[in-house]
Order: sequence, then C-alpha cells, then structure tokens
Amino acid sequence: MSNLTTGKPKIVPITGAGACAQAMRQINPDVVAAFPITPSTQIVEDFSTFVANGQVDTEFVTVESEHSAMSACIGASAAGGRVMTATSSAGMAYMWELLYVAASMRQPVLMSLVNRALTGPINIHCDHSDSMGARDAGWIQLYSETNQEAYDNLVMAARIAEHPDVRLPLMVCQDGFIISHSIQTMQLEDDKAVKAFVGPHLPYHSILDTAKPVTWGALDLQDYYIEHKRGQEQGMRNALRVIQEVSDDFAKTFGRQYNLFEDYRLEDAEIVLVAINSVAGEIKEVIDELRTKGEKVGLLKIRSFRPFPYEQIGQALSNAKIVTVLDRSASFGAHGPLFTEISTAVYNYASGRPLLMGHTFGLGGRELTLRHIEHVISESRICLDKGEVGNRQGMWLNVRGDKS
Amino acid sequence: MTTLKTWQELPHGGVILEAGSAAKYETGSWRTWKPITHRENCIHCLACWEYCPEDAIVLEDGIDHAGATRKFVKEVNYFHCKGCGLCVRECPVNKEGKAVALGFVRDEV
Ligand code: SF4
Ligand code: SF4
Repeated sequence: MSNLTTGKPKIVPITGAGACAQAMRQINPDVVAAFPITPSTQIVEDFSTFVANGQVDTEFVTVESEHSAMSACIGASAAGGRVMTATSSAGMAYMWELLYVAASMRQPVLMSLVNRALTGPINIHCDHSDSMGARDAGWIQLYSETNQEAYDNLVMAARIAEHPDVRLPLMVCQDGFIISHSIQTMQLEDDKAVKAFVGPHLPYHSILDTAKPVTWGALDLQDYYIEHKRGQEQGMRNALRVIQEVSDDFAKTFGRQYNLFEDYRLEDAEIVLVAINSVAGEIKEVIDELRTKGEKVGLLKIRSFRPFPYEQIGQALSNAKIVTVLDRSASFGAHGPLFTEISTAVYNYASGRPLLMGHTFGLGGRELTLRHIEHVISESRICLDKGEVGNRQGMWLNVRGDKS
Repeated sequence: MTTLKTWQELPHGGVILEAGSAAKYETGSWRTWKPITHRENCIHCLACWEYCPEDAIVLEDGIDHAGATRKFVKEVNYFHCKGCGLCVRECPVNKEGKAVALGFVRDEV
C-alpha cells in the first residue's frame, strides 16, 4: 500500500518527528491515542494522515487531553492491543498519574517523546525536564542523538517492552526542534523488514477474552502492593538484558549496532564527557578536533537511562581521570539527575576514582556551541591538573551572570 | 488464613485471574466495631442487607405471617464485615429509637 515499500532500505531526508511517524506506520499498532502538542505534533499529524489514507489498520483515538490519551492507551493495551502514543513536555506532565498506572499494570505502551522544557516560564524548546521528571514512573527510557536513532529505537521498542520478562511501557526520547524539526538524511528500512523484525503482538490476559475473565487495576494493600512493585522492578532489571539482546538482533538485521550506552573514543580518554541526546553530536565534533591536538578526551552517551546500566558504565569509566557530566535538566536544590546516576555508577563499579564534575546546560533550548564544549573540556583539564573540581562543581553553562 | 504469595508467584501487573476472588479476602480484619443482630427486635426489612458494602449480612429462608416463603436476616458474616456501621445506621428499627435490632459494639479482636 505504501509507496515506501520497495523491498530495500531507502536513504531519505526527514525530520526526527517524521521518522518516528514512519516507524509507527511500519509497526502498524492496533491503537494510537494521542493529543498533539509542540514539538511532537508532526508525529501525530503524519500518523493521522496514514490512518486517513488507509496505510495502517490502526484505531486512532482523537482524545480531548493527554490524561485521556494515556488512559485510552492503558485500556487498549489491557484489551490486548499493541498501543502507541506521542507527546512532549506539559502533555506528558498531564499524563503523570497514568504513566505510573501503565508501568504498574505492566502494559507495554510505546511512546515517542519529543523532549521539551516544562512550563514556568512558558517555553516550547528543548530540554529534558519532561522525561527526567518521569524517570521514576517505571517507564523504560531510550534516548536518541539523531533522527536515525529515534527511528531505530522505536523499531526496537515493541520487542523490548513486550518481552515476557519485561512487560513495561517504553518511551523513546529525542530532542525537541533540534532533532524533531531538523531534516537529516537517514536510512528508512523496508516496511516488510520492519514488520518481520517487530513481529506479532502477544496479548497478556486480555480483558476482552470473555472466556477467561480477569480483573485489572484492583485495589492492592499492605499485604501485596510491595510484592507487585518488586515484580515491576524485576521487569526493569531484566530489561537491561533484553535491550541488549534486541539491539544485537537489530544489528544483525539492519546493520546498526546499539548498546546500553555509546562509548566514543573512550579507550584511552583521561577526560570523559557524559551527555544525552543531540548535544552528543557537537561533543563528538569537538572531541575529534581536540584529539588531533593530542587531548585525550572521549564521550559516554547514554542510550538507556531507565534501566540505568550502573555496572557497565562504572566499568567503562574506570580509566577516566575526570568525568564531566552535562545535564540538560535541573533538579532544583540537587545535582542533575544524570550526574547523580554517574556518580553512583563510578563510586560503586569503577575500579578507578576519577574526579566527578556536573554542569547544567541548555534549559529551554539555550544552545551549547562547539566553543562552549571546548571550554568545558579545557576547564576539565585544569581541574584534572589541579586534582580538584573546587567551585566549578554544579556550574550552569552559557548563562548570563555566571562565569562559565 | 490464606498463605500469601511471593512476588515471583504473582502474575505481572496485579492482574487477578480468578473471578470472584474478593470473597476470599478477609475484610473483617479491618474491623474495630462490630454489628450485633438482635433478632427479637428485627422486622426483617432487609435494609441492612441492601446497604452492606461487603455483602456480610447473611440471609436464610423462612415463612412470613401470611405463610409465604421469603428471606430473613440470619447473622453477620464477620469474615467479611469490616465494621463500617452502615447497617446499624440504616436499620429502621434503630432509627425509630424504641428498640435496637442491630447493636454496634467495640470489637475485642
Ligand atoms: S458493619 Fe458494614 S460491613 Fe459490617 S455488616 Fe454492617 S454494613 Fe456490612
Ligand atoms: S435493617 Fe434492621 S430491621 Fe431491617 S432487617 Fe436489618 S436488622 Fe432487621
């Protein structure tokens, strides 16, 4: 039906949001319930076109709010369908209580999240305060540097989320506007190949199975609640293994290898930057440049933030001398969420004891240029030479009024 | 007393696979006050049975003055009675205030 079915992958120029809509078309979910919000709008817009054109068989529910969108997703998933949605920022904040319900009911709802700042003051541009705020909701979180990664993550999402050892909702995150609205070329895989990779959805105690009636969402008190939560935690622990397995199979099928995180020129790196999503592209650029001048610098880019691969990351940072973490969200009165996770990983699992430095940047879409990144690296070098981070700890980058 | 399951034994997501399993749940363990039937004052209007949220008022068959078969209040099932007091409050005999068909006393458990 689709003019994109050629039997072969195609190199296409496409936005990050458009790429995710294509992945959704290829996955052909049973139900999509969504409410458009900037900058995720194009995903829902494109997908509704596919529905109108008959390119998918999806029941598309145009709800009146995100709270209803996630409610509909949970119901449809409990009914035994493969379910997807897309949102951003305040949209996901409005889903808040249902995010927890989806996770605790172990419904593998798939979300394409386009990262955008949370309101106050109103802002539509990129930072990670939406998904970082939801990090304890029980969703698997995969992050994407480029449109290709957002697309690939979404193609892998169903098999990870629906795996019987996991059964958890999953969000694929990409940077608002920077990726969602920028056209980059990427490889769009063949429809049939994606369909074959994703495979059929296996319902789990469907509420529509009247021959075997079940109860979903019952009251759970002191005698069982914590056992159910322990089971939920096990799903997350198992997800570490399943994400890698599915990623390895994806590499065999489509040729692009993903891991729980990406190590970029880490082997002999003394200075390691840790970052999430699109800024990794600029960081790699600067690393390549500084490497020609002999600076031993590398990048660790997070792909799976939930579950967080503490052990693997701790080991990967064992030889670093200083680890500088860039958080694109603030936890007011505390260090950034990525910094605290990296500190935990290093303290518990690294054989070495690198200096640890955390910075906040990019809130509300504030840019971090190549020059800023260079500066972060040269500051890291100064700290390393001095043997201490001192008052550089917790600095906000590229903020007027702060020296950075 | 039912043996409680380990987290490994539970199906994912708190789904309950057995219909009607709520009957096995001892809501009676929540009780601090309990209703006591005084059958000598009861007019068997069944208001208590209708209002009880736990279906804890137990009925039995009997013959009324006109000789017809109908339901009568037999007793309270204390495995399910959670002691909310709704039955005591809604009982029309209690409301009239001249006699008590359903008493409400401190539970000693
Ligand atoms: S006290 Fe409440 S639960 Fe117990 S019998 Fe009366 S109405 Fe039912
Ligand atoms: S409400 Fe009172 S009078 Fe009526 S059946 Fe129950 S105990 Fe008897």
